[in-house]
Amino acid sequence: MTDASGLYELKNLSKRYTRGKETVAIFDGLDMTISQGDFIAIMGPSGSGKTTLLNLLGGIDRPSSGEVLFEGQRIDNLGQGKLAKWRAKNAGFIFQFYNLMPTLSAAQNVELPLLLTNLSGKARKDRVKTALDIVGMVDRAGHRPAQLSGGQQQRVAIARAIVADPKVLLADEPTGDLDRTTADEILQTLQLLNKELGKTIIMVTHDPAAASYAARELHLNKGRFEEKGKA
Amino acid sequence: MLKQTIAVTLLNLRSIPQRWGMSLATVLSIALVVGVLLGFMAMASGFRATVDGAGADDVAVMLRGGAMAEMNSVVERNDVRLLEVAPGIAADESGEPIISAELFVVVDGIKRTSQTRANLALRGVGLSGPELRPQFSLVEGRMFEPGTAELVVGESVLREFDGFALGETIRLGSNEWTVVGVFSTGGSVFDSEIWADLGVIQNLYDRGSSVQTVRARLTSVEALEALQEYVENEPRLNLEVLSERAYFARSAGGTTNLIMFLGWPLAFAMAIGALAGAWNAMYASVDARTRELATLRAIGFGGFPAFVAAMAEALVLAFAGGLIGAVATFLLFDGVSASTLGSGFTQVVFAFAVTPDAVISGVILALIVGFLGGFVPALRAARIPLLAVHSD
Amino acid sequence: MNDATLIRKNLFRKRLRAILLMVSILIAFLIFGVLGALQNAFTMGSGTAAQERLVTVNRINFTVALPYAYWGRIEQVEGVRNAAPASWFGGYYQEPQNFVQSFAVDPATYLEAYPTEIVLPPEERAAFLEGRTCALVGRALANQYDWSTGDRIPLNSNIWQNTDGSQTWELDICGVFDDTEGTYPTNYLMLHYEYFNESLAFGRDSFHWITINTEDPALNDQVSGEIDALFANSSAETSTTTEAAFNEAFMEQFGNIGLILTWVIGAAFATILMIVGTTMVMAVNERTREIAVLKTLGFTAPRIFRMVLWESLLLSFLGGLIGLGLATLAATAASSALAGFLPSFGLSLTNIVTALALMAALGLVTGILPAYNAMQVRISEALGKI
Repeated sequence: MTDASGLYELKNLSKRYTRGKETVAIFDGLDMTISQGDFIAIMGPSGSGKTTLLNLLGGIDRPSSGEVLFEGQRIDNLGQGKLAKWRAKNAGFIFQFYNLMPTLSAAQNVELPLLLTNLSGKARKDRVKTALDIVGMVDRAGHRPAQLSGGQQQRVAIARAIVADPKVLLADEPTGDLDRTTADEILQTLQLLNKELGKTIIMVTHDPAAASYAARELHLNKGRFEEKGKA
Repeated sequence: MLKQTIAVTLLNLRSIPQRWGMSLATVLSIALVVGVLLGFMAMASGFRATVDGAGADDVAVMLRGGAMAEMNSVVERNDVRLLEVAPGIAADESGEPIISAELFVVVDGIKRTSQTRANLALRGVGLSGPELRPQFSLVEGRMFEPGTAELVVGESVLREFDGFALGETIRLGSNEWTVVGVFSTGGSVFDSEIWADLGVIQNLYDRGSSVQTVRARLTSVEALEALQEYVENEPRLNLEVLSERAYFARSAGGTTNLIMFLGWPLAFAMAIGALAGAWNAMYASVDARTRELATLRAIGFGGFPAFVAAMAEALVLAFAGGLIGAVATFLLFDGVSASTLGSGFTQVVFAFAVTPDAVISGVILALIVGFLGGFVPALRAARIPLLAVHSD
Repeated sequence: MNDATLIRKNLFRKRLRAILLMVSILIAFLIFGVLGALQNAFTMGSGTAAQERLVTVNRINFTVALPYAYWGRIEQVEGVRNAAPASWFGGYYQEPQNFVQSFAVDPATYLEAYPTEIVLPPEERAAFLEGRTCALVGRALANQYDWSTGDRIPLNSNIWQNTDGSQTWELDICGVFDDTEGTYPTNYLMLHYEYFNESLAFGRDSFHWITINTEDPALNDQVSGEIDALFANSSAETSTTTEAAFNEAFMEQFGNIGLILTWVIGAAFATILMIVGTTMVMAVNERTREIAVLKTLGFTAPRIFRMVLWESLLLSFLGGLIGLGLATLAATAASSALAGFLPSFGLSLTNIVTALALMAALGLVTGILPAYNAMQVRISEALGKI
């Protein structure tokens, strides 16, 4: 059912919002294919629909019309419950402000998505350790988010995104709140996940330096893509 | 400083509607606490007002020693004769002592509210009976005819019990009685009684010539001592002599104490519950304004105005709660008629009385709850660090 | 870690707030428990056994005496298995304030009337039946005055006079009785009717009530009708009802205690309902963003709904159970403090079951709105951007 080239396929995608009496079209008739193993940076001015696109890909928003296919299956018409299960299985999310649970330790935060699986306690523990290991945060496993720096929190968030072994990672300005050095470390980690583990990554950013870590850059402007070749 | 404090306080109070849910919950929970307290106090003071309100200092009540209550007392005819010549007792125009020997039988009446049988006092009195109750007046009908099975009923009995309307015939045991009048003694405990002719009751209930109590009008308040001395020094008499006021006060004590014994701890416990609510609401209020308060600090306001402002908010909420509780209790309960078993082992009909004193106690309790609930959050408000300016 | 960890961590996120809420819930259940126990004391004696026993009193009022001869005539009524006469004694010990609930009874028939309620060692039972000056004392009363078997006590009456001119009867305590699991009051004393009656200065040969056991409860209506008909139009007419109805009417004389208690408990619960309800809504609103993250991770809306609901249930049960525990302690303490006025009381199984149901109801009611709000959180709105 899948071919290596088409993890995602967007067909004639439209998204419109109603603000008061006005209807605003974010995009209209968008077509796009994302292959397995891609690392795509989506860039564009604010209001261009970057985040909306990411929401549609992540199954947390629905298009006004058109189709979103993931591995050949439509996800835009799934019910809320099925969509939640789809997200738990297939998508890992990385946010600009990390969005860790303040009451939980780093390890517990990473473990959260595993609560949605049937894994035993032991298996979960191993997975959490592996994920924290990948991002280099094993020694901070017992810390609360408030006890961690921004970069460390984002590492924990990445571990949380990959712990359930999803096919795609969706990152929204993952380095938007970090200094240059830390940002570079985070982006290197993402690159590593893409190259070594073959994770498909779709990253929204307005920072050209961040985008340069991606294999492919797409510029969203007025609801249309302008692809820029990778140097 | 004063200007700062007023400014911050006003800012605070104006923001109450933004947190209307928590604020309303605080106000209403304090209102309920005050309502419970005032409900019990209204019950206690209503009962007390009825039972010892009518007690006169210049009327002596005489019971058998150790009897404590009228029901248990027996006073023989000979004793009454000895009392008729006792010192200190006032005489009427014809020179007769103003003295009333009375008999007291407990009979069943049907309570309107529950339709269950409850004890009523059927009092046998002579013609001097009303004379010893200065507020006695007939509201309807006429006085009973001596020697007949006629009754007059107190207006409270009419209100709380079935079957005592004017003209009705009532069966008490195997005897039929006719209600010929309704009397009032101005809301005193006698309004909960039924009166009939002493001789008829002695006959119908096999009491021979004995009575249970003797009431006498004293020549003066001080004459009580002379009477007590006479009774004590007369070996043929084993009687307890006390003023009507003292007698009633003794009767009221037990029940009112019991009501308050229940009322205060309950109100107190509920106050702790409401305290937790107020505390929470104030914390929420301070939390919601952390940034605003920090900004004020940053531009030069002190911590004290923030403290005062938070306390003011707590006290305003508490005061509103206390007031709502008091007004609601007044509207719901003031004047509501109820009856309970008095120390005479008969029903005493009384009206709930929400007194100004009780309202003051209630509002004070509310303010204490507000003060304690607001104190710690207010301290927190005063100590908000300047850096909180940046909090979101 | 599992969902329970998340629920617990969320509840105690702001520890002080959670503790304050628990205290207010605790208070409400403390009030519920203590007042419930108090009400048990007032309604004790309305159980099934009491519904099967009959009581005959003077139709005028139960304080008015009946002639002694009625006892024999009632025993003859068809269907009557046992008839036990008794009189008010109006006792006090040493001082009139030391009220001692006491009855003069016919020992054999009285013990026969309460075969399961009154628990007594056989030798004490025999001693009581034998000894003319014997008294049997309930456990609660014995504890109050520190009386024990073998003591000789003077008991005063505020109603009766002894032929010797005093109001005192000398009594030997021949036994102390217990009850079966708080079903019967043990705060009274009984003495021999014969001993009492023969030394009365006035009012001899009369009693105040007769407790009747019938051969079959189905006969009760018929028996009570026959007894009252027997004495109709005499100088002392009778009124016969079940003991339960008699007790209830007596308690009703104090006023509608049940209604008052219901109002108070209602007020207490209205208070916590508002406090806990609004705080839970606020607490969940504060976490909107976290809930959106959970949803993003794939937690389904129903699961989030359940988690919030469990949180409020946990809060309710934590506060409620502690409150109920304290109520048990408080009821025990109050019970011994009020031993002279009320039979010993405690929480019944019904109270506990009701309390548990109330905890569940409180948890559900205060949790349902925040849980619904949590379920309705829209990820894209709550996060602004993912």
